Amino acid sequence: MSDLDDFKATYFDECSELMNELEEQFAAIENGERDADRLNAVFRAIHSIKGGAGAFGFSGLVGFAHAYETLLDYVRDGRVEMTDDVVTLCIRANDIVADHINAAQTGEELAADYGAEEKQRFDAIARGQRGDEDEWSGEIIEEFDIEFTPVRVELAVEEEPEAVVEAVAEAEADTFEAPPMPAVPGHWEVRFTPFRQLYSRANDPLLLFRELGALGEINVKAILTDVPALSDFEPFGVYCSWEISLFAPDLTEAAIREVFEFVDGDCRIEVVPLGSGVAPAAKSVAAPAPVAAAPVVAPKPADLLALTEDEVAAAPAASIAAPARAAEEGAGLSFADLASEIVAAAPPKVVAAPVPKPAAPKPPAAEAGEEGGNRSVGVQSIRVDLDKVDRVVNMVSELVITQSMLTQQMDENLRARYTELVRGLEVLAQTTRGLQDSVMAIRAQPVKSVFSRMPRLVRELATKTNKKIKLETIGENTEIDKTVIEQLSDPLTHMIRNSADHGIEDPEKRKARGKSEIGTIRLSAEQAGGNILIIVEDDGNGINRERVLQLARDKGLVAPDITPTDEQIDQLIFAPGFSTAEAVSDISGRGVGMDVVLSNIKKIGGSVHVRSWTGKGSRVTLRLPLTLAVLDVMLVKVGESPYVVPLSSIVETMQCSGATFERVPSGGQVLQVRGEYVQVIDVAQRFAMHSTKAADERFVVLCESEGSQKVALVVDDIIGQQQVVIKSLEENFEQVEGIAGGTILGDGNVALIVDVQGLRTTHIHQNAA
Amino acid sequence: MEALSLREDNGDRSAVVGHNTLQLIAFSIGEQTYGVEITTVREIRAWNGATPLPNTREFVRGVINLRGTIVPIFDLRARFGDGQTSPTKNHVVVVMSVGDKWVGILVDAVSDILTVNREEIHNVPEGNAIDTELLNGIVTHESRMVGLIDLHAVVTGAKLDG
Repeated sequence: MSDLDDFKATYFDECSELMNELEEQFAAIENGERDADRLNAVFRAIHSIKGGAGAFGFSGLVGFAHAYETLLDYVRDGRVEMTDDVVTLCIRANDIVADHINAAQTGEELAADYGAEEKQRFDAIARGQRGDEDEWSGEIIEEFDIEFTPVRVELAVEEEPEAVVEAVAEAEADTFEAPPMPAVPGHWEVRFTPFRQLYSRANDPLLLFRELGALGEINVKAILTDVPALSDFEPFGVYCSWEISLFAPDLTEAAIREVFEFVDGDCRIEVVPLGSGVAPAAKSVAAPAPVAAAPVVAPKPADLLALTEDEVAAAPAASIAAPARAAEEGAGLSFADLASEIVAAAPPKVVAAPVPKPAAPKPPAAEAGEEGGNRSVGVQSIRVDLDKVDRVVNMVSELVITQSMLTQQMDENLRARYTELVRGLEVLAQTTRGLQDSVMAIRAQPVKSVFSRMPRLVRELATKTNKKIKLETIGENTEIDKTVIEQLSDPLTHMIRNSADHGIEDPEKRKARGKSEIGTIRLSAEQAGGNILIIVEDDGNGINRERVLQLARDKGLVAPDITPTDEQIDQLIFAPGFSTAEAVSDISGRGVGMDVVLSNIKKIGGSVHVRSWTGKGSRVTLRLPLTLAVLDVMLVKVGESPYVVPLSSIVETMQCSGATFERVPSGGQVLQVRGEYVQVIDVAQRFAMHSTKAADERFVVLCESEGSQKVALVVDDIIGQQQVVIKSLEENFEQVEGIAGGTILGDGNVALIVDVQGLRTTHIHQNAA
Repeated sequence: MEALSLREDNGDRSAVVGHNTLQLIAFSIGEQTYGVEITTVREIRAWNGATPLPNTREFVRGVINLRGTIVPIFDLRARFGDGQTSPTKNHVVVVMSVGDKWVGILVDAVSDILTVNREEIHNVPEGNAIDTELLNGIVTHESRMVGLIDLHAVVTGAKLDG
């Protein structure tokens, strides 16, 4: 049971990946990239979803996916044109598939006719092209991937009817009675009566039947006549036997018996070729005369071909050569004839191989082949528990630290003495670096996996609110640590809902304001120093500050005598329980939105910032850490303690003696850098540490924070550049103002990472206060 | 850095100890003896310096690297309002788990492992606010008074306000 649950969990994982892929593909298809590769990818995704759903018995999903797949199949082979209408329908269908998956996952029941309308439209479109050649329905068709290509060998017979020996004709007549298989031979009946010891040796008839099923089409019938009344029933008694009829064009008795090889003696097996006319011939290669006389009309060339070596050896040597050749010719002929008809190319093996193994004759059908190809590509990725990756990441971090510690231990003396050791250490350094990069790459994932869920959300919101909304995504290949990505989904959903519900105006209103009727929500991701910025912008109404302030006062969030600045008002929307929506809609307005965003982002060590332009739109910026990512830093000293400043935010460094400081009226200091005045923060002072150096001997680290705001940090010493691994302070402690995290230096000590942006903003606040 | 891991011992010891008894790690600050439940202790290590954390109260001595994770160190003497400890190599950091976090407590020395009866635990007498805030109870062991540390209380309020 738990096994099945595991499989299910894997299936749902896969589904969500496939749905993401679908979104991605359709984003491109919507933009007019309607090439075959994309259509194939879409088809495969739906097919995979359907396949798994069939295995787990999600019939609603299978039904819908099947209909959808049928349409896609027609689109793929060009019978249905991929018009914009079809694209729209498909996008809608993706949403329905997603709903079905969701319902299956949560165990909810969808309405029985959910998606029926779309299904009918698939039908209509598909039928429009196909006439009524075959029926389609939503039934579960989870077929084996094995399909047999019939080899029609009687063609030659038809060409030369006069030469047909009566017996042979009979044989043919016989086989023609088996309608599904045009091939003459290969219809067998197997009677399988297991003895008790078969079960006591832990054999399972089902497995045998499956193996038989791999040989050809089988039809298994249980013989229950021997089952006694319940009162006479012996628990370990064996009462059931089976009759299996087996179709396969080129199957020998030996091949069938081989299936039962492991239960030999534990059961009774009777293998009977069906049709009396065929029987003797099949058994004994007993018709050497007619065969020799008319080699071209060899009755069962495929059969002869399929003879195993022993049987061939057992037959009279003279009679074999001719029919075998004939068989080759015959089969070859018919194969050539059929080639145009049979979509799937039967592997030449069937014709050429003199001793086909039971497993060999599995000509891949067109689809099976394609699927198989894809599967081998799929195998190139594996699913690994994130915990395991985390462990590797941690260990590699330790390795990096140890390695840099070793390097630091090498002083000039040692270097001169042990050149080999130095070389070894250099190689170690390189390898470690490479290892670290690779490990980080495992955990880093493009934000695409979250972004791709958003188009659907926007579509739904647009429909619900009767607005026209377009979603633009930028920088979706920006990579962030997987743990961060997982935390992103909820905040993004809330932010986009907010934009769609509160930000974007009705089409009429937008028109009246001279804006385009279609509102735009732009979702972008970019890397900025040691952070990832996720920005949600809209060109809507902006924040209604009067209303926000009014509500905040009503709720007692802002005292009546305080007049906050515009920026402060904007930040109020993150207060818990706050909502500006006049009516609670089912999209947003319950006031649980933006504070969730804030708390989620804070939880992963990020920050949220909102800006708004009345009547023009608003922008919410999420700053997220690249947790566990390697950070290039500058190691500095403040007092006796080591601090690191992310190299990416550093513009330049200089000595204080050469810098020009000025006083401003507030009492703060500014630094003049090439005609620009930059705010100065004395880190020692801010962190209440004792500076160990005279003012002139200290250093200025000029940093650039968010929005190209520069800030000059004054530190006591600059030690050098280094690579570090970010460690969380919050894991065992809590967030500390002005500190973005910690890291472990080569000597094993902890250095703190300076939060440049945080320092700058708290500085402003303190000055303002 | 002779780290003494106690984790392996836990299972055996608690097996012999009955429901009604409690095992404590006792440590001293000056003349005072305090104790924490042995199951919360992860590791005992010698003081080897810590990186100071800015914008925190004086009883936060800083952070240390404990096999790749950053662990904060609380100065228990300072937490009780007795001023910061001037630690030497002979001072001891007791690493404990509080909830899902690991913290280190800086003490003068680890003295003993005590087994006490739960019934013998008395309430902290009213009077000194800091005692009632930081102690769960008081127990007498061999005529010594042992204060049971409330770890949750010790680690809260670490951030500097304003």
